[in-house]
Amino acid sequence: MKKTWRMVYVTVGVFLWFSAFPAAGAWAADPVRIGAIYPLTGPAASTGAEMTDAITLAVDIINGKYDLDLPLARTEGLPNLKGATIKVIFADHQGKPDIGQAEAERMITTEKVAALMGCYYSSVTTTASIAAERHKIPFLNPESTDPKLTERGFRYFFRTTPFDDPFAENFFQFLDDMKKKKKVKIDSVAIVHENTSFGMGVLVSEKKYAEKYGYKVVAEIMYAEKATSLVSEVQKLRASGADVVMPASYTADAILYMKTFKDLRYMPQAILAMDAGYIAEDYRKTLGKDGEYVLSREVWALDLAKKKPMIATVNEIYKKRFGRDMNGNSARSFTGMMVLADAINRAGSTDSEKIREALEKYTLSGDNMIMPWEGVAFDAKTHQNTKGRGIIVQLIDGQFHTVWPFELASRDVIWPIPAWDKR
Amino acid sequence: MFLPELAQSLLSGVLMGLIFALVAVGLTLIWGIMDIVNFAHGDFLMTGMYLSFWMYSLWGIDPLLSLPVSGIFLFFLGVVVYQLIIRRILGAPMLIQIFATFGLMILMRYVAFYFFTPNYRTIQHTFLSGSIDLGGIYLPVPQLAAAAGAFLTTGAVYVLIHRTRIGGALQATAEDREAAALMGIDTDRMFTLAWGIGAATAGIAGSLLSIFFYIFPEVGGIFGLIAFVAVTLGGFGNVAGAFVAGILIGVIEALAGHFYDPALKTVFVYALFLGVLFFRPQGLLGVK
Amino acid sequence: MKAAVLGKRGRYALHGAMLAAAVAYPFVFRKPFPQDLAIKIFLFGGLASAWNVLGGFTGQVSLGNAIFFGVGAYATAVVQTHWGWTPWVGMVLGMGVACGVAFVIGYPCFRLKGHYFAMATLAIGEVFSTLFMNWQWVGGAVGVYIPLRDDTWKYFQFGTTKLPYYYVTLAFLVLALLISEGILRSRMGYYFRAIREDQDAARSLGVSARGYKLSAIGISAMITSLGGGLYAQYVLFIDPPSVFPMMLSIQVVLLAVLGGVGTLWGPVLGTVILIPLSEFTRIYIGGTGSGLDLIAYGFLIVLVSVVQPRGILGFFRKGGNA
Repeated sequence: MKKTWRMVYVTVGVFLWFSAFPAAGAWAADPVRIGAIYPLTGPAASTGAEMTDAITLAVDIINGKYDLDLPLARTEGLPNLKGATIKVIFADHQGKPDIGQAEAERMITTEKVAALMGCYYSSVTTTASIAAERHKIPFLNPESTDPKLTERGFRYFFRTTPFDDPFAENFFQFLDDMKKKKKVKIDSVAIVHENTSFGMGVLVSEKKYAEKYGYKVVAEIMYAEKATSLVSEVQKLRASGADVVMPASYTADAILYMKTFKDLRYMPQAILAMDAGYIAEDYRKTLGKDGEYVLSREVWALDLAKKKPMIATVNEIYKKRFGRDMNGNSARSFTGMMVLADAINRAGSTDSEKIREALEKYTLSGDNMIMPWEGVAFDAKTHQNTKGRGIIVQLIDGQFHTVWPFELASRDVIWPIPAWDKR
Repeated sequence: MFLPELAQSLLSGVLMGLIFALVAVGLTLIWGIMDIVNFAHGDFLMTGMYLSFWMYSLWGIDPLLSLPVSGIFLFFLGVVVYQLIIRRILGAPMLIQIFATFGLMILMRYVAFYFFTPNYRTIQHTFLSGSIDLGGIYLPVPQLAAAAGAFLTTGAVYVLIHRTRIGGALQATAEDREAAALMGIDTDRMFTLAWGIGAATAGIAGSLLSIFFYIFPEVGGIFGLIAFVAVTLGGFGNVAGAFVAGILIGVIEALAGHFYDPALKTVFVYALFLGVLFFRPQGLLGVK
Repeated sequence: MKAAVLGKRGRYALHGAMLAAAVAYPFVFRKPFPQDLAIKIFLFGGLASAWNVLGGFTGQVSLGNAIFFGVGAYATAVVQTHWGWTPWVGMVLGMGVACGVAFVIGYPCFRLKGHYFAMATLAIGEVFSTLFMNWQWVGGAVGVYIPLRDDTWKYFQFGTTKLPYYYVTLAFLVLALLISEGILRSRMGYYFRAIREDQDAARSLGVSARGYKLSAIGISAMITSLGGGLYAQYVLFIDPPSVFPMMLSIQVVLLAVLGGVGTLWGPVLGTVILIPLSEFTRIYIGGTGSGLDLIAYGFLIVLVSVVQPRGILGFFRKGGNA
């Protein structure tokens, strides 16, 4: 008999103990799982590390308490989900579209993630988002710029970053501004692009806008990323006599181009790069002084901190922890994580349909982010962020300085680039 | 305007070609002497590049000075690889040999990846910098020095193979393993030596390359493939052939880029390679 | 091998049991991840078997089988995007084109022996990749996006279930094995082996070495191309780096070598071991991005070749040649 009673006590006790959990609040809630698929090995692994570090930091800010004007910074976890924390599961796609897709599926089905983000490479974002679309899981893309991605009209795919086409237009607006305000003479441009989809897409957009704004494209030079020598390419540039060279390159080839420019003592009036390799940390570190004065379109720059002090604060935390400054890639991944977590919080649920609806209605003011954008709001049909915008930066004294739009500029643009023997 | 540009392309092609030649020499040596294709050859090169890089960034030793260190280190690495792996698969089918060196390639590449991170690195300030101006044709001093170093090293290997006793023994081993053994040549020692020298040349090439080329864990893949082509073009085991073929590849890449589309320049190299394979399978300088 | 011990009836029973297990598998493992793993195993098993017909049976070591894979993938994708045909037609078309390409490659290359043949196919593979990269009609570097559709057999797309992909790739593997088995048992297989062991002797006995080698590369190319078509339908996006990579050419060789070259089951065995291993290492240690998974992979390859150069099947056999 005694034994029976004891069992009843224990059972009731256990029952009470468990039922006390939800009441206890905060820590009872399961963490919200988010999958992040990035190139952790392969040629872009160093960029991949920058981006995953930024995501890790964003999650810390969301889960902990920070005095920052960022969404979810001042609270611990997601208040609308009983303070649930965010847990990110990273996966490596090695730069391969099929692995990206398989990892997306594994994330959705095995890891039970509420949403996905990634993948930097446009080709991998393409296939991974197909998996998300089919399983009806929201996919937020913070950093791929292939125009095709949002043209597909996917229901669950959202992109925060502006993409290559508007950026290409920015270049020619910038050149027009230079002609008007700085009285420089610019007639012709040469487009240099690597031969994968990134470079090819840039070529199409830049050609389109060159025609629209009345600039002559005097050379279109395509090359392979893994070239051992770029001498003939640079020769062709020199022969074209272009005023401005517009490259679309990854890191290794960007480094090799500048070295070859120097070796052959070639320098156009300006180099106007479609970011990627030219804003990579490795480009700056390896080339040092030789890499300077290059102009690049950017989505972000450290000196924007003059207008937005929060940028400096976040960068300090990042630098202290990971030993390097943030850049356009890491800042975009950081912002992507922020937006996704904030949308999940607003949805108040991990239900994928609710998250999708929250993303469609989502708006964020430019004041609450570390980007120079007007904010975040997704187009109803394409789910492209309509409030993003690009800036143009110039690498001077080891730092990127915003030089355009002129009203955001922290420094005057140096134009033309000094010749190699005059440095 | 046309002629100086062409001359520039040609000269740059030759300078790069000399490096290709040195990378190919080590590969052809191993290939010719023991009929083994070393897929990891480009990664020996990568190891040499990192050695020079770390000696430069940790202790400020110029790549030109660390070059012998990298040659010696790679020599021993080659010997170790031979003793631990290659010796055991000498009698195995060709496929297994491909398999083993391919595994070695992945292993070396990702060990470098693990310890050195995927970051790109370059050596910024060497003894040598700037470029020589020959009336509108520019020859970068680092490349010139590297090409000269490659030329000397290749020459040294050639002399070693063709003018010394050890070289004679190596050649005899290459021609007929059993006959060489009967003549009292320790073939196992010869193989060890071939791997040592083959790896050492790759190490030296790596140090030379590090003066002007970027370094990252997968850099060996870029040069390894070209070395294969050079070896086939030059004839397996033919040091002089690999030398000529290396330069030829550099020049063809430059000319194809100059006259045609730079994106297709490798296609021309492969086309030449296939042409030689079909019509002169013993290689350009080979005799059969 | 076990089969020899079992006798004919036992062998049928064993194969029947294996097939039944494969058919039942997705009902036990319902999650997409294990199903995706199995699909990869079937696909690569078929590709490795296809390589084995040429490289294992005939002894012609091709390092360019990705060419046929890519041709099949592109044919399947392009007939949909350009003409709106069903991918099934594309796969058949791809097999035809791949076979033609194989003849064009094989005719000159078969004069080459050993390393020379291997290096030639490797180079041709690189040429194909570069050409497709620059061929705008098939999308060039941008690649081909196959338009998404609701579940349909006509266009072979299934978003909500993997079962159709599972059974079709299983059928692909079975087909590759049946063809291999058929060749091994026929006169053709006998000639293939004669060419592998001693080409000159075979020729002196009146065997048309080049003719048989051309049939081998043709068969190998058609199976590989079909695999490429299935891949395109499974991933729905292809570009030259994803369907013409040199790594793929080499990987199918590795799978066959690991299991045992020139045997019927060797390539499958290699696939069953290596594919899950590389998937699991990527997932459990690859997420850290340190490359440890690939270190383990490389180490394993070296270890196998040093310890058991005849492939895993070598453990079950005494003597004989691999």
